[in-house]
Amino acid sequence: MKTHIKELRARYDLTQEDLAKKIGVRRETILFIEKGNYNPSLKLAHDIAKALQTTIDDLFIFEDE
Amino acid sequence: MKGKKEIIVSTVVVVGVLVTLFFYLTGTGEIEFNQIVLVGIALILVGLAMYVIWDKIRNVQKGLPGKDERTISMSHKAGYYGFIAAIWSAVFAPLFFDVSSGYELDGGDVSAIVVLVSAFVFIVSYLYLYWKGK
Repeated sequence: MKTHIKELRARYDLTQEDLAKKIGVRRETILFIEKGNYNPSLKLAHDIAKALQTTIDDLFIFEDE
Repeated sequence: MKGKKEIIVSTVVVVGVLVTLFFYLTGTGEIEFNQIVLVGIALILVGLAMYVIWDKIRNVQKGLPGKDERTISMSHKAGYYGFIAAIWSAVFAPLFFDVSSGYELDGGDVSAIVVLVSAFVFIVSYLYLYWKGK
């Protein structure tokens, strides 16, 4: 799964740590979600989308395996 | 606050284990090879646990949570692997020692091996998942 988190963070001038603080998770969690190494729960995906003022559909790119 | 409490409790446990090992080593007259191996594994576990605690402290100091959904999921997975390792080590440790050296382990030895192997598998799995990100 790919994401647009990095691009959106850059748009709002947020570091991984800033975004992690906003959502209440560890910085590494944001890092691994960005790299596609961790699939977040629906709640966390919703929280990230809300923090970056977008929707889950626009934030995550779901690819068929 | 919850994260801080967990860090304090973990630190107390680590210090307790170190003190116990110290008294065990000073109280034992002649130390055998298998005791050195068991104490060595325990010290490695303590070192790895200290790394995990240090990482939590670092996050809490930055205003980030000590644990989140990813670390909780990692703990569950690592706990499962540790449980499986405990079962297999309970079955195969006596068999292995009996076949390889003819040494018959008593109940205490098997218990010590099961605890150490499951703890070792737990902490190694936890750190692997931590670095891999899964």
